[in-house]
Amino acid sequence: MTLVLLVPLLLLTAACIVLFGRGGSEYARAKTAAYPVGAAFLGAAATLYLVATEGPVSIRFYNLSSAASFAIPIGFYVDRLSAVMMTLITGVSVIIYSYSTGYMYQDRHARRYLAMICLTDFVLICMVSSANLMMLFLFWQILSYLLYVLAHNHAHPGTLGGAFKTFTLLRVADTAFLAGIALAYQLYGTLEFQDLFARAADTRVMLSLWPGMEVSGATVVTLLFFVGAMGKSAQFPIHLWLPGSLFAPTPVHALLHAGIINAGGFLINRLAPLFGLSSTTLHVAFVVGTLTAILGASMMLAQNDIKKTLGFSTIGQMGYMIMECGLGAFALAVFHLIAHGLFKATVFLNCGNVIHKARQEPHFPHVDHQTEEPGLSRLTWFTGFVTTLFIPLLILLVTHGVLRIPLLESQGTVIFLFFIWITSSQAILTLTRLRQVASWKVSAAMLMTLLFIVFVYLFAVESFTQFLYPDPEEVASYFKAADLTDWLFDLMIVTATILTVAGWFYLYMSAHGMSVRMPAWIDGVRIRLYLPFMNRLYADELYALAGQTIMRVVHQLDKRERGWSQ
Amino acid sequence: MMDGTLIPWLLAGLPLLGVLACLPFQSDPERLKRSAVAWALISLGSVVAFAGRMDVAPEGLLPLYLLPLAATISILGQPVHEHHRLSWMLTLLFLGLGISALNSRPPISLLSLTLLLILIAGLLYRHHSTLWPRSWWGIGTYSLGALGAAVAAAADAPLSSIASLLACAVLLPLVPFHDGHVTALTRLPGSLPSFIVVLLPLVGLHGLATAMPSVPDIVAWAMSLFALVGASYGALKALAQSRVRLLLAYGSLSFFSILWWFAAASRTATPRAALLVGTVGLATSGLMVAWQVIRTRYGDDVDPQAISGLAAGMPQYAVLLSLLALAAMGLPPFGVFAGFMGLLLSPPFPSLAGLFVTLLAWLAASWYIMQMVQRLLFGIRRPELRYTDLLRSELASLLIVVLVLLALGLAPTTLFAAEGTVLDTDTIGESPTWNH
Repeated sequence: MTLVLLVPLLLLTAACIVLFGRGGSEYARAKTAAYPVGAAFLGAAATLYLVATEGPVSIRFYNLSSAASFAIPIGFYVDRLSAVMMTLITGVSVIIYSYSTGYMYQDRHARRYLAMICLTDFVLICMVSSANLMMLFLFWQILSYLLYVLAHNHAHPGTLGGAFKTFTLLRVADTAFLAGIALAYQLYGTLEFQDLFARAADTRVMLSLWPGMEVSGATVVTLLFFVGAMGKSAQFPIHLWLPGSLFAPTPVHALLHAGIINAGGFLINRLAPLFGLSSTTLHVAFVVGTLTAILGASMMLAQNDIKKTLGFSTIGQMGYMIMECGLGAFALAVFHLIAHGLFKATVFLNCGNVIHKARQEPHFPHVDHQTEEPGLSRLTWFTGFVTTLFIPLLILLVTHGVLRIPLLESQGTVIFLFFIWITSSQAILTLTRLRQVASWKVSAAMLMTLLFIVFVYLFAVESFTQFLYPDPEEVASYFKAADLTDWLFDLMIVTATILTVAGWFYLYMSAHGMSVRMPAWIDGVRIRLYLPFMNRLYADELYALAGQTIMRVVHQLDKRERGWSQ
Repeated sequence: MMDGTLIPWLLAGLPLLGVLACLPFQSDPERLKRSAVAWALISLGSVVAFAGRMDVAPEGLLPLYLLPLAATISILGQPVHEHHRLSWMLTLLFLGLGISALNSRPPISLLSLTLLLILIAGLLYRHHSTLWPRSWWGIGTYSLGALGAAVAAAADAPLSSIASLLACAVLLPLVPFHDGHVTALTRLPGSLPSFIVVLLPLVGLHGLATAMPSVPDIVAWAMSLFALVGASYGALKALAQSRVRLLLAYGSLSFFSILWWFAAASRTATPRAALLVGTVGLATSGLMVAWQVIRTRYGDDVDPQAISGLAAGMPQYAVLLSLLALAAMGLPPFGVFAGFMGLLLSPPFPSLAGLFVTLLAWLAASWYIMQMVQRLLFGIRRPELRYTDLLRSELASLLIVVLVLLALGLAPTTLFAAEGTVLDTDTIGESPTWNH
């Protein structure tokens, strides 16, 4: 029990060590504070072991029978999900903090910055181990403000604008979250997670939004929570704060993209039993996630600066994560956010080096690479054929036969397999453009690696799902709740198949010098789309226009009214 | 041992005694200020000492604690200047009348209230300027409030209830009786605006607790409608302001209207309501003191657009102002958030649409307050401005507000009143109109 409390307290101690002390000892204190941060990681790992072997830990500093006694009921509930998140956050924090002590060395604001990093970690840990929705929201809100503080540099107007945008957009999402909490309490009479889930499952409440239109209470509540999650996880159309905060120091991005942005995925997972009660919300999540994944990835391709590219890549990945939640694969979303967090933290911490190197070498990245050979060898085509047709069949057989995943009853799994297929085909399509790979050894190595990755991924995900949600019926119920209508499901599968096969067909035709008959408007659209995607779909401008319009209306109303300001 | 009936007289009398004790120091502003602060603290001490022996009102004891505290910080935050002498003594006088209105029995409480409103209307008349013709509306509103309080003292029910409710709508501002609140916060001198923004709403809430149970349904429905209009109107007007005091006046109007909406639904004023009213008042009061710091340095008519870069030049001020702004926006872990959440979680609320409007008003606060703070603190450091960080008394004043708001956000509400089952109610069976 003490161990659970020790993890956030150690991070708070680290913040205090950095913040308080005599002048001149800042660097020594910053170095010293790394020890409690490291100890917090060890504590989190030990907590994970403890929770995995002995079950969830629950600590409450308030009377459960009277939530009124404290305005903010402070308590901790650490189950496997919380413990995994705690380990991830503290692990990433150790790396980021150690990196930051060197990165911010001799910076005028290093003390404030390092303390804020430790404080953010503390808030994140408290958030993921909250015992009730109220405490979770409390730290969720503090996190929004800390993000504003971390993302802004008060002497730089661009950064200030971005930080203000971050704060206001996150507040919009937070307001929906708050409405969800108020409504959940009104409907179910509790904010304690386990009680809330039990009561929501037992009590099917219908809400009359207006005469003749009734919606399930669980749907309204989860939709409001989902909007809250959309804000933190930068989902379209409230994703704009993420590119707007890219002026912040590189380690802040590492923390942001590896930890803070995962809050949305965590929230949905924490409330999974509630989300599992509403198919509508899961379908909305699927649509929003898919849209964000597509738009994020498309915008990423059109950016010309490394941080923005990575930023939009994160948006795309977060969209993918939310899409997984929308398909009922909650554990997979957590697995994804861990993998993405570790990967993105590494990339962000390294991107400073790339920029630095690019400034030193005027021709970086190198332009003297060999020109590509024209045409593709038979071997290349063979590799592509195996990838696109043989491997998917093998995966289907293995998942169905060896892993015993009932594919016919689980739309979600089938959709994921198709996503894996498309992604791997895309990877192969990209790799085959390098003509040097057209040798038996390379092709074989590539195929084996691909197979290895796919199967390890499937195995890891399956094991991780069993670890987070040991009850297979619970997992199945989430997939069931997320089931799409048959026509939509079939449409998606057919579209995915056509896209992949058409991709190969187009490549083959182009490689053999054959012209692909395409309507002129398709070419036109392709070119015309580049500009909007490069300009991030003009979303910044649209938001600015909306803000200006609102303010113009407000000022007009103010003038018309017999006002004091006149 | 003191007789229980004497306690209200003693509590109300101490600040009035303070006014008399301050009179000899009129020629020495510094000693006068010190004396006024000391008497406000004595008043606070007396409330704490007698808290266990007083009759507890439905809204609890928090208003009684907050009044002397607000008087202390309001006086403490003012610069030592001969122009502020009258405002310091009036602050003590209003404190005495306010405590009497809260703690005495009718008709003394209503007579104290009448006198208080007449005095404020008189002060507004004294500070009336032809440049602010709208202040007539404020004077009129307070006169109407005084009339309402007097009628409530003299008449029988149901006229007394309606008259009392009218006085409440003036004190705890409700559209369309909000002009007094806006005028008082913008026109009164010295420490008075920052004190009055706490005093009048808390006194209004006390009256509301007495009047609400006997109010007819149609009146409660109209109140609820006015409250929603007020919440939106206050937020919209605050968004349009460039003057800080007006922004704060309209912003607080928006939050007080939220309270009216909940009060109209529950037909009572709970300690949670007192927490929201008290903390909104205190946060606004703190922001007014913070704005006074700017006025002290750069002149009374300073344009907020002409100030920037305070974060670098005045770090202590910047930190405290940021924290105050967070509290005023209704962010955790400060008291405004706790009060707001307390009301949100007090079942049942009457409509989803109302909830939506109140949440929008809450959201709008983060726009206009954040914009104001960001404009003052950040941006370019101006060479023509002289940056002087907080003086000791200013620091103490702002620090007390921040710490009290923090404490109120974290402390159990049972500290100020026994509140048995507000949150323990199982709401599933209650079936508000919008669910079944």
